Amino acid sequence: MAMVTEVRPRGRIDRVAATGAVTALVGVAVLPFVVFRANRIVAGAPRSIMDAGPAGLMLLVFAAAALAAAAAPYLWPALTRRQPLALKLAAAGMFGSAAWSVGQAAVRLLAGATELARVSIGAGAWLALVGAAVVEFAADSQLERCWPRRATTVAALVAVACAALFGGMGQLSIVREYQSQASFFWLYVGQHLTLAGAGLAFGLLLGIPLAVASTRWRGVRDVTLGVVGVIQTVPSVALLGLLVIPLAAAGLPGIGSLPAIIALTLYSLLPIVRNTYIGLSEVDPAVVDAGRGMGMSSAQLLLRVEAPLALPLAIEGVRAAAVLVIGIAAITAFVGAGGLGVFVFLGIGQVADDLVLLGAVPIVVLALLADTGLRALAARAVSPGIRGGTT
Amino acid sequence: MIRLEQVTKRYGDAVAVDGLTFEVPEGEVCVLIGPSGCGKTTTLRMINRLIEPTSGHIFVGDRDVMSVTPEELRRGLGYAIQSVGLFPHLSVAENIMTVPKLLKWDRKRMEERVEELLTLVGLPPEEYAGKYPRQLSGGEGQRVGVARALAADPPVLLMDEPFGAVDPLNRERLQTEFARIQRSLRKTVIFVTHDVDEAIRLADHIALMRDGRLQQYATPEEILDHPANKFVHDFMGADRALKRLGRVRVSEAMRTAVPSLSGGRSPQELSTRAACADTRFVYLTDADGRLEGWFDCHAVEIGTTAEDAVTLVDWRDDAVRPDTSLKEALSRMLGHGYRSIAVTDLTGHLLGDVAFSAVEAAMSDSDERMAAAHDAREGAASDEGSVPE
Repeated sequence: MAMVTEVRPRGRIDRVAATGAVTALVGVAVLPFVVFRANRIVAGAPRSIMDAGPAGLMLLVFAAAALAAAAAPYLWPALTRRQPLALKLAAAGMFGSAAWSVGQAAVRLLAGATELARVSIGAGAWLALVGAAVVEFAADSQLERCWPRRATTVAALVAVACAALFGGMGQLSIVREYQSQASFFWLYVGQHLTLAGAGLAFGLLLGIPLAVASTRWRGVRDVTLGVVGVIQTVPSVALLGLLVIPLAAAGLPGIGSLPAIIALTLYSLLPIVRNTYIGLSEVDPAVVDAGRGMGMSSAQLLLRVEAPLALPLAIEGVRAAAVLVIGIAAITAFVGAGGLGVFVFLGIGQVADDLVLLGAVPIVVLALLADTGLRALAARAVSPGIRGGTT
Repeated sequence: MIRLEQVTKRYGDAVAVDGLTFEVPEGEVCVLIGPSGCGKTTTLRMINRLIEPTSGHIFVGDRDVMSVTPEELRRGLGYAIQSVGLFPHLSVAENIMTVPKLLKWDRKRMEERVEELLTLVGLPPEEYAGKYPRQLSGGEGQRVGVARALAADPPVLLMDEPFGAVDPLNRERLQTEFARIQRSLRKTVIFVTHDVDEAIRLADHIALMRDGRLQQYATPEEILDHPANKFVHDFMGADRALKRLGRVRVSEAMRTAVPSLSGGRSPQELSTRAACADTRFVYLTDADGRLEGWFDCHAVEIGTTAEDAVTLVDWRDDAVRPDTSLKEALSRMLGHGYRSIAVTDLTGHLLGDVAFSAVEAAMSDSDERMAAAHDAREGAASDEGSVPE
């Protein structure tokens, strides 16, 4: 008989986390980490991570650490249990050091340059951030919701915030653009939220009754689902153009926020109506029969039984609609409705990439916030009896 | 009391229910039975107006169901269906509170009612009140469905194959429990089923339907002994004697004084055969009197070791309850190959046993009883064996 020893079998490499770490390492090594321009609109010169100094070295160390943590179950089976936490810490380090590195690169490159010179974030730095996010995701999918998971997520946010505040990120050109546009920036953020919010609100006011009516009458269903489906296929610029005609006929302005809100309302209808309709129509007929048989009126049945059961799908539809209108609201700057799209169109006109980013990045952030917020709402509002499954 | 007068339901040219007239007395169980498509479920659903009759009148108590709104009517009629239809997003307690909530009971009264009902249907409230329907087994779900139908203490219960979707063993248990509950609550019940044995077991009156028409409305005994026509005879099946056993409870044929030994059962102790004086089998129980098995005195006599003469059993599977039907008891005996079967209460305490011979006796008894009853009614000799067409 062979000697019996207690050895933990070799585990598998966490492929997702490894992919994140390798993405960051390869991105940083191969692609420009930052881009240096003598002024705002000339073509940029790629610069490597070497320009970030010790901060850049730190980023490489954290990315390598993430790779090691990803491979830990294979290399050091005894440490397998600590892998998720190690990955979370490495990801926090990657986020912080990447933010710090771009700031440091900006500070160093701008030290000897003119006031007009700009440094913007390059593809390599973006990939480092994406890689960090992938590592974070891989670690989260292994961890239960517990305090170490939350603590390390907070640590990552704090590291990025510190790097942004004290690490020289203020020297980056996107921040420079912000500084010169600060008053407009917040005005546009406000406009953007108003447009998207109004579109979503009208979409709900119109969409929910339409969905309920669709479950009651076939005719309403066929027309409603057909029409909202067709609307979705019309490109947003074309829809805004088409709206000019009926609005002019009604004596209303074809440009400004009115056509924008109408267009956003129409686009939000499809996800809201379709999901709510499916949610309501998938309620088990036996459940409806039991409710009616016990003496619930149509309204009581809808509010107490059908609506709560349709809620997970309905919220999912509202979430999709919210993300959609926040994105499309950028296009409505095209008809003079304002919003963050203004920066994007101005930036494209001026060939100023960083002005485009000043519009685009907050739009992405808003969409992510709406997405996260509505997911959290779904988790709270949906009954534990049907959570994590269909009705 | 529920009375149907010339109730008809037409869908276009098709007649689902045709001129149905019968009356269910207060506190009785009326089972509607017939082949699928015979109109039994339509009839049930017309009573609480989930389907509106084309013509005719339905009275619940002395009130025409058309004289009140459907919602008000339904809140006064308990309703349980085969697919149960528990609200998946609500806890068991909230499900049971459905009708009380519609009737705006106060919170405390509802909570007390939930506790009372869960206990009644055999689900410990502290364990089940907070569960969600998806955490329940099929049988537990059906019990909650019945509890929900009983919640506002309606005088009338409408049940559409309430035990149709569970396995046979669980169905037998649910029937036993339903019979027990009905004995204490005395509701007026309309019960739809396609299971003849279930109908015979639970019904005070059976309404047998075919193609929307009533074929016979009578007690189970009457319908078994004197089917109104060939269809009724064929539908009820040939094994009438066996079916009749479904009406007799184990407690009616049970021997209560059975030899038993409790506590320690070391082979030495058993082989003294203290209890084997005039019987072959001695039941073994634990110190609390729960059935654990039996001891075969003959096996010792013919030289087997005392240990081999002991058979250990699980009372849940190898014994019956006092309110089990004799038909079920017989089927268990045959299934296990026993000549008699132990009877325990719901927690396994040995109460007695039922012997095969006692089942035979009950069978001839019920024949005689039925013949006598028939004689009294008809004032003529029973023509058992021949089938009126």
